[in-house]
Amino acid sequence: MELFLFILLSILCIGAVLGMIIVNNQAYSALFLVLAFSCTAGLFALLDAPFIAVVQIIIYAGAILVLFIFVIMMVDIKEGLTPEKKKWTMALACILAVVLLIELLVALKSALSPMATSVSGQAGNASEIGHLLFTKYLYPFEITSVLIIAAMVGAIVLVKKKDSE
Amino acid sequence: MNTFAALYPLLSIVVGALVVLLLEVFLKRKNRDYLAFISILFLLNAGRECIRVWNQGYTYFDGNLQLDNLALLLCLILTLATLLVILISMKYLRLQNVNFGEYYALLLFALSGMIIMVSSTDLLIIFLGLEVLSMSSYALAGLKIEDVRSTEAAVKYFLLGSFASAFLVFGLAFLYGAAHSLDIPAIVNFFRADTSLSLMALAGLGFVIIGFGFKIAWVPFHMWTPDVYEGSPTPVTAFFSVGPKVVGFAVLIRLFQLYWSESLNSQIVSSSLWVIAVLTMVAGNLLALRQRNVKRILAYSSIAHAGYLLVALLAEDNSGLVFYLFVYLFMNIGAFTAVIALSKKGTEYLDLENYKGIGFRYPWIGATLSVFLFSLAGFPPTGGFLAKFYIFASAVHEGFIWLVIIGVLASLISVYYYLRIVVYMYMHTATNDIEIDAYNPALFLVLFLCLYGVLQMGIFPGNVLIIIKQAVASLPIF
Repeated sequence: MELFLFILLSILCIGAVLGMIIVNNQAYSALFLVLAFSCTAGLFALLDAPFIAVVQIIIYAGAILVLFIFVIMMVDIKEGLTPEKKKWTMALACILAVVLLIELLVALKSALSPMATSVSGQAGNASEIGHLLFTKYLYPFEITSVLIIAAMVGAIVLVKKKDSE
Repeated sequence: MNTFAALYPLLSIVVGALVVLLLEVFLKRKNRDYLAFISILFLLNAGRECIRVWNQGYTYFDGNLQLDNLALLLCLILTLATLLVILISMKYLRLQNVNFGEYYALLLFALSGMIIMVSSTDLLIIFLGLEVLSMSSYALAGLKIEDVRSTEAAVKYFLLGSFASAFLVFGLAFLYGAAHSLDIPAIVNFFRADTSLSLMALAGLGFVIIGFGFKIAWVPFHMWTPDVYEGSPTPVTAFFSVGPKVVGFAVLIRLFQLYWSESLNSQIVSSSLWVIAVLTMVAGNLLALRQRNVKRILAYSSIAHAGYLLVALLAEDNSGLVFYLFVYLFMNIGAFTAVIALSKKGTEYLDLENYKGIGFRYPWIGATLSVFLFSLAGFPPTGGFLAKFYIFASAVHEGFIWLVIIGVLASLISVYYYLRIVVYMYMHTATNDIEIDAYNPALFLVLFLCLYGVLQMGIFPGNVLIIIKQAVASLPIF
């Protein structure tokens, strides 16, 4: 069952990423990215890390994607890159992809070696994180609430219409 | 002592911000000055709490919040700075059509972020405090919504500030990887025990220094400063030029107080900071020579002062550094107050041409602005002279001879552009009529307080120095 889910999610994830690159419409690209992120979240869940899985969906598929879509709507690029530029970006992308592949292979090699340590099962546990958040990290947690209020007030002040005298 | 009382100063500021936000809804536009008075009440209360727990060493949240004497003194300095900024804002906001009630709330939020930063030794908390400060600052910079330059300032500050935060977080991740803790004592202990030069830790420290260097405006990271200072509303500029510098150096004092040693990593960091100090002092002063906008001149001058402060950091002269920050608060806010006084509805007089003959037409503004400029340049008997003198003396004592020579030469250059404003005020006849109506009792009070501060610390610095010595004595906490 687990193996089946893993293969399904992996194929879906790779397919979504391919779709994101191939599709011409940027809005569709962004939606494919949502699918890819969700599949990654599913993979995390399979690895017994429910907290990271949920965070993956909330932050990447939620917040960051909304930001992307906002930028796509605001900037509105009609025509793509010129062929001249496209050649350069293709070459650069190929080089970077090869570098990334080598990096991943090296990381994989050390991760699969018998010396590697595995993270304990507690790491992705939501209740453990919640406990730490309200005991050891209570002060940073409270500061974060002040941070969010400040950011919210600042954003509202900058965009609200001026009331007349 | 672990007690809830340690939270009172911070709580007073945050509650003040929330109360201001709430009341803003119910107040009519012309009554918004009440919000300023309410904020001042909360600031005074916070100051009172700071003084009350002096020498008590209160902590809370398992030591995450530490009100040692240095933290308390810096809280007082920052609260005083915010109070002065609120006083000079009241009339300005109405004249320049930026009369938002949220302005005071944002200032108080920024202050709470700064208090969080100076009263903790955990870099994670310091980072969160910095973010609270930055978020409020971005909004404050862009408050003149109708002015394109103000919006440009906000966008520029936001983009570059986010980059700086990213650098800082990156550095923190490296430091955590190396030292397995983000607590400053643990990190410093790691560096002191580290004989084999851990590249990861050094890179982390470098990124952290870059992150703070941006906020303090050291020279390779100063590009944003003139534009942001020019575009922001002038009281906000006064706030930017003092607040972030004080907290940046406060964190660096804690980080570096026991760090300097004979080890290789300490040598590398020390020599790179040496280079930054030279660049900051020289470039800041040279670039100021070409400016004709008074706000830009003061922006470059604040860059140069960050360089002098860095000399104090290198010379391990903590009390000299805090003294300099104290004097800098008075002379810089004073100078900006005089600039604010020279404005009328919808217009600010910022070009040097406008300063022709001001000295005779408005003797009070001219005289006080001259004193602040003399102090910034470092003439006796003002506080600016003594502050520079202490720093350079201890730097010579520590063997930074060349640094001091360059610093003194750089401050000689600075005399030219400071005195140029004075020359324009007194030795040119007025060519154009300058009407001002921003002159009100609050501005007068701030001018007087700053004048008093600058002269008191230039002539009788003894009392202040005793307090600063007490504060710095509480420093080695590990």
